[in-house]
Amino acid sequence: MTGDDIEIRHLTKRYRGGASDRPALQNIDLEIPHRRFVSLIGPSGCGKSTLLRVIAGLTVPDHGHVSLFGRTPREMCRRKAIGLVPQTPALLPWLNVRQNIALPTMVNRRRGTPPESTDDLLRAVGLQDSARRYPHQLSGGMSQRVAIARALGLRPDVLLMDEPFSALDEFTREALRMQLLELWQRRATTVVFVTHSVHEAVVLSDRIVVMSARPGRIHEVLDVDLPRPREREVVSASRTREVEGRVRASLHGAWSSGITATESVAS
Amino acid sequence: MSTEVIGSSAASPPPEPARDPAQRRPRTRSVFHPFVWLPTTVLLLILGAAWAAVAEAHPYVLPGLGEVGTALVENPALFLGNAWSTLGIALTGVAAGAISAFVLAVVMSEVPVVRRALMPIAVVINVTPVVAITPALVVAFGFGMAPKVIVTAIITFFPVLINVTTGLRSVSPTVLQVFRTLNASRWEVLLRLRLPGSLPYTLAALRVVLPLSVVGAVVAEFVAAGSSGGLGTMIRNSASTARLDFVYAAVTCLAAMGLTMLALVTAIERRVLFWHESRRHPSG
Repeated sequence: MTGDDIEIRHLTKRYRGGASDRPALQNIDLEIPHRRFVSLIGPSGCGKSTLLRVIAGLTVPDHGHVSLFGRTPREMCRRKAIGLVPQTPALLPWLNVRQNIALPTMVNRRRGTPPESTDDLLRAVGLQDSARRYPHQLSGGMSQRVAIARALGLRPDVLLMDEPFSALDEFTREALRMQLLELWQRRATTVVFVTHSVHEAVVLSDRIVVMSARPGRIHEVLDVDLPRPREREVVSASRTREVEGRVRASLHGAWSSGITATESVAS
Repeated sequence: MSTEVIGSSAASPPPEPARDPAQRRPRTRSVFHPFVWLPTTVLLLILGAAWAAVAEAHPYVLPGLGEVGTALVENPALFLGNAWSTLGIALTGVAAGAISAFVLAVVMSEVPVVRRALMPIAVVINVTPVVAITPALVVAFGFGMAPKVIVTAIITFFPVLINVTTGLRSVSPTVLQVFRTLNASRWEVLLRLRLPGSLPYTLAALRVVLPLSVVGAVVAEFVAAGSSGGLGTMIRNSASTARLDFVYAAVTCLAAMGLTMLALVTAIERRVLFWHESRRHPSG
């Protein structure tokens, strides 16, 4: 183990009440290189979000271990080195945009790297004019931008994003993807991104981890060799569609293997 | 030029245009709009007329509204003095009950063993008719304020305990996950997340227990025989001497006190719960 990457070894996680022969995650081995953008994709129930929670230290695995640059997830949390962007923005409704973005600096004060200035973060996500607004006065896309800014504020070593754009309309998703790419390009932190969208995974990632369900396991790891920065021309090029085709074929294989696994268990 | 037809639904008639969202939004009207004040005014006039008719026919059952008004206008010091006495008991009782319930709810939410130990006892106290122990409290504490304050405190304790406990536990799991990834301490989660999040529940409890505290104080005054002040004592004494105008004048004072308390809580809610959906969609 080098300590330079995120390394997951022989990871198995069963939920209480779940079938013993079909754990949520089974024997997961995965390496996520430093400062790379990696997406987890797969059918519902394949354990993408569980894997993300294990990396975040929110769920303890039954077997195996996780190393984030040589440290355990809980150690990383203690150092405030993990930024989490959940599926819903999870903003505090009684705090305005500026206060929500500054929230990580207000808890566990003694730890963490010097935070990025709130004004810079507001500018980076294009919300400088909405700094005094409250979450109920924001659109879904604006709220999610606040959640991203909040997670980026502490310059985390790893940014974990759990389907952050899934509740947004297609236009807003497109805009936020481009904004996220721009933010990541400048900060180059390690990102683990859970998504259901093949296009999203291809446009954003250096590597795509295709997972299959019942039990949750890694079906295939695909490297995305599209050039960076991923401007709109790259995103709409035929090469991108080719990669999307490869991912879709892999997903189909993952889905079929999930069905086969279910049938063999049933028989 | 040809137009491509996609799917069979292209031939079907276009759907009805969606209604303007602004039309669906509940309209908020000024209190001066007849739509707001007219129904209540009409109802009050009908009730007033019915009252007057009954008072005319049975003067020993119901005093005339004019007599009630006269009693109030001619004895302002008497009513104010007694109202002040009842208000003192109600506010002291509700402060003691609500503050101790709030503190206990916080402790119970943080220490599960305390919750398991105290909740059954709190439930038993809640289902016990507190009024029944007032005479015993009078024996123990005399005719002063103490037994009345204790009764009021017990009556107001439980709604605050239940509401605040619910509020402290109603934290969004995803926000809690964000706090956990920041390694926030329990104290920080309590201070920055649970307490502000429980504010709507706390104020909803106050909305119930502030008027309830007046009920508690009056009932305690009824039961604590020999007590010298307060609207409850005044009602009991006036009823025994058939001064119904004084009885209803005192009831009017109590209603005014309850309304003032409710208005106060509403004003606080409007100021501090601007972010809560109950303030944004009051009709919903």
